[in-house]
Amino acid sequence: MAKAATQNTAKAPSFTLILWGAGIVTVWGIISPSSMLILSLGMLPTLVAYFCDRTEQKFALYCVGGMNFCGVFPFLLKLTDDHSFTAAMEIMSNVFSLAIIFTAAGFGWLMFLSIPPVVSSFLTVLAEARVKSLKSIQKKIVDEWGASIAKGNSETAAKVPLTDEETD
Amino acid sequence: MAEQPLETDEVAEELPPDMAEMFEPADAPIDNSPTQHSGAGGPVVLKDRYMLDTATPLPGFDSPSAKAYLAEDRRDLGLKLFALICSPEISTRIAAIRLQKDSDSAGRLDLIDWDVIYWPPLGQRTMVIIFVQPRGGRVLHRLARKEIRITEYDVPRKLAEPLANILQKIAVQEGPHRAIRPENIFFRDEDMTEIIIGENVSSPPGFDQPTIFEPVERAMADPAGRGIGSTRDDIFALGVTIGILVLGHNPVAKTKDEDLIKARLEQGSYAVIFGNSRVPLPLLEPLRGMLNDDPVARWDFNEISNWLTGQRTAPAKKRPIRKAENPYPFRGKEYLNARSLAQQFSQKIQDAAKTAGEETFETWLKRSLGDAGMAESVKGLIQAAKFHKDGYQGSDEYVTCQLCMLLDPMGPIRYKSVSFMPDGFGPMAASQMLHNDNGQLIGEILSYDMISAWLNNQSPPYPGTSELRANFISLKGFISIKEIGYGLERVLYEINPSLPCHSPLIAQDYVMQIEHMLPALNKAASNADTNQRPIDRHIAAFIATRFDQDIHPHLKALASDARDTSIVGLLSLYAFLQWKLREQQLLGLSSWVGGLLGPVINSYHNRITRGDIEKEIPRLVRKGSLPELFDLVDNAERRKDDRDGYTEARAEWLAAEEEVNDIEGAGDERITRAERAGQQAAAVISIVITLTMVPVLLILQTW
Repeated sequence: MAKAATQNTAKAPSFTLILWGAGIVTVWGIISPSSMLILSLGMLPTLVAYFCDRTEQKFALYCVGGMNFCGVFPFLLKLTDDHSFTAAMEIMSNVFSLAIIFTAAGFGWLMFLSIPPVVSSFLTVLAEARVKSLKSIQKKIVDEWGASIAKGNSETAAKVPLTDEETD
Repeated sequence: MAEQPLETDEVAEELPPDMAEMFEPADAPIDNSPTQHSGAGGPVVLKDRYMLDTATPLPGFDSPSAKAYLAEDRRDLGLKLFALICSPEISTRIAAIRLQKDSDSAGRLDLIDWDVIYWPPLGQRTMVIIFVQPRGGRVLHRLARKEIRITEYDVPRKLAEPLANILQKIAVQEGPHRAIRPENIFFRDEDMTEIIIGENVSSPPGFDQPTIFEPVERAMADPAGRGIGSTRDDIFALGVTIGILVLGHNPVAKTKDEDLIKARLEQGSYAVIFGNSRVPLPLLEPLRGMLNDDPVARWDFNEISNWLTGQRTAPAKKRPIRKAENPYPFRGKEYLNARSLAQQFSQKIQDAAKTAGEETFETWLKRSLGDAGMAESVKGLIQAAKFHKDGYQGSDEYVTCQLCMLLDPMGPIRYKSVSFMPDGFGPMAASQMLHNDNGQLIGEILSYDMISAWLNNQSPPYPGTSELRANFISLKGFISIKEIGYGLERVLYEINPSLPCHSPLIAQDYVMQIEHMLPALNKAASNADTNQRPIDRHIAAFIATRFDQDIHPHLKALASDARDTSIVGLLSLYAFLQWKLREQQLLGLSSWVGGLLGPVINSYHNRITRGDIEKEIPRLVRKGSLPELFDLVDNAERRKDDRDGYTEARAEWLAAEEEVNDIEGAGDERITRAERAGQQAAAVISIVITLTMVPVLLILQTW
């Protein structure tokens, strides 16, 4: 339910942002078509993650994108030796290169899927320990003050003091 | 004071032989010699000084409401005493008792001491009053035995003067005597030289008086409701007493009270009582003066003094009794004046209310009685009753009561079954509530302002009207509060200062003074059901009336619906009493109250505090100290600590509960949150790896 609500609130990128992105990509494509080719093909898993993750925070995007970029980055560095479109085509047509890139992205997906259950279990254990501690405190309070403290009966006997002289 | 003996040498033949029978039961001994009764219980000691012999009654000194027994002073064995054992059912005149004990006894029975003690023949405690025996016995008995004769010549010096002097002295010291009658007059000495008056303290004012000795308006009242009256009422009784002693008989002894009152209302008291008797000429005017039915015109002590000193006395001012031209028939009898009709109306309430609404009655008042004003008042009363037909003002009882007030303003207040003078309300209320269980009637009289209405009808105003009004307003206030310590019981003790507490718990102990309350309750602890509380409405009202400290907060707590608060109120009240009255150990009462403290202990939240209190109670019970017990269970500091601790603990408990709910309450939400945290962690790790890898690769590439 909460997830659905979060999904509903996910914002679509604005037209201006898309326009800016398209502009940058175009300029980049004109300036460095080779790196553009590697990035556009190599970062496809990230694009998939972007569309798959419907949450507002896009944690999958960061997770997959980060690792995906780690996989792509060594091949971008290779272009510093031969900054040609052909070199880029070679890299991207090499199965080994693609395997490295997509494995890195897959590792990102793996992290995204495996870390939350571990963290969740850890937090649950902490919460249970806290609940146990709080209930123990409550039991002590009830033992000392009676069950009425849990029911909210706070009335006390009316005070009928003796005179001042008497209490002296 | 008479110094010469009355004539004792010979007794006139005309002295009626049946004189004693007029005043005494046929079988009553007329001498004062002790009558031995075996097995009555033996001697009882009063104040460690007076020995009372329960086996030796002295019927010669009996009062109508109190029996006399032989008593002796252990410090002066030569002094002949008798003890009057008052009836526990009848209130005494305690103020008069205290005054008489401390004042000069000249001219009256010498009251030397009193106390409340256990009286075995009654099986309970009661008021006992010690008097010195008048050696000469009752004047009436001497006359009946023909040992003495009182002629008209003896009356001024040897009868009227001493009696008038002592009545005047008593009036100044303690108010009217209200028990002047032939059988209550004694000779102090065996030589019969000194006449003294008998006691007036064993019953309410006028209670023991036959109606003939009461002025007609008080004669119409119930015995308990005759009221303290005034010295004029004593003078009336003195006149009748003198007349009877001189005549030697009661001329109207065989007439029924009802007929006597009707006749007195229509013809006047003197005419009815002595009109057909041969009253000696020198006594004619004095008796007329003393028996005048108009209290204002009745002789006072000055006029008696003038008569006794031989000065000229004004002839009795006789206000003619207003009579109707034609009698009014009511239930088979005919009535000539409004007062006698009012008296009859009060006996037949429904018929009276019906009659008052009839046109013939209004016509009779206007034309035959000639009192248009009264007719208009009666008409107004009936119209008001019709207007309020669903309220109490429309009831026959209320209408008849008001009607009687209009027809006979001087007469007593006559409501339902009672008839009383305003100053006799106290004893009448006690009689109705305690003997007839008719408290509702008393409540109605106060709530409906009957007494105020009566006072409004008085012209001239009744003596002490403003004081009476203030008193009754205060009583009405008490009756409107239903809580314990107020209500009818409070009214009862407020207006009867001598009345002992009538709580079933301590009724046997005749608790008349506040000092005796706690010892009586302490004693009751051994017999009473200790699961019940040692207080009831009578005890609370009695304490509220007789204890001179402000106990309002205690009563308020006592009246609480919460059981623990109510018991704290009870304990605080008794602790306050014990502390103020300096009562020593009250083991029984402490134990009784201690056993009821469960709810009070449970009113503490802290279980440790409860345990501490429970452990401490037995020790304090053994000390018999209610103030310490109260301090233990309702100590202000302990209460505050408990309350503050409870508040703090509750806040802590609630905070914990809130946190627990926060953790446990949202199942899916918590999982979602954990998942999101995990995803966030994964994203962070991924970014960190990227941010680490990129510079490392760049450095490697460069090198």
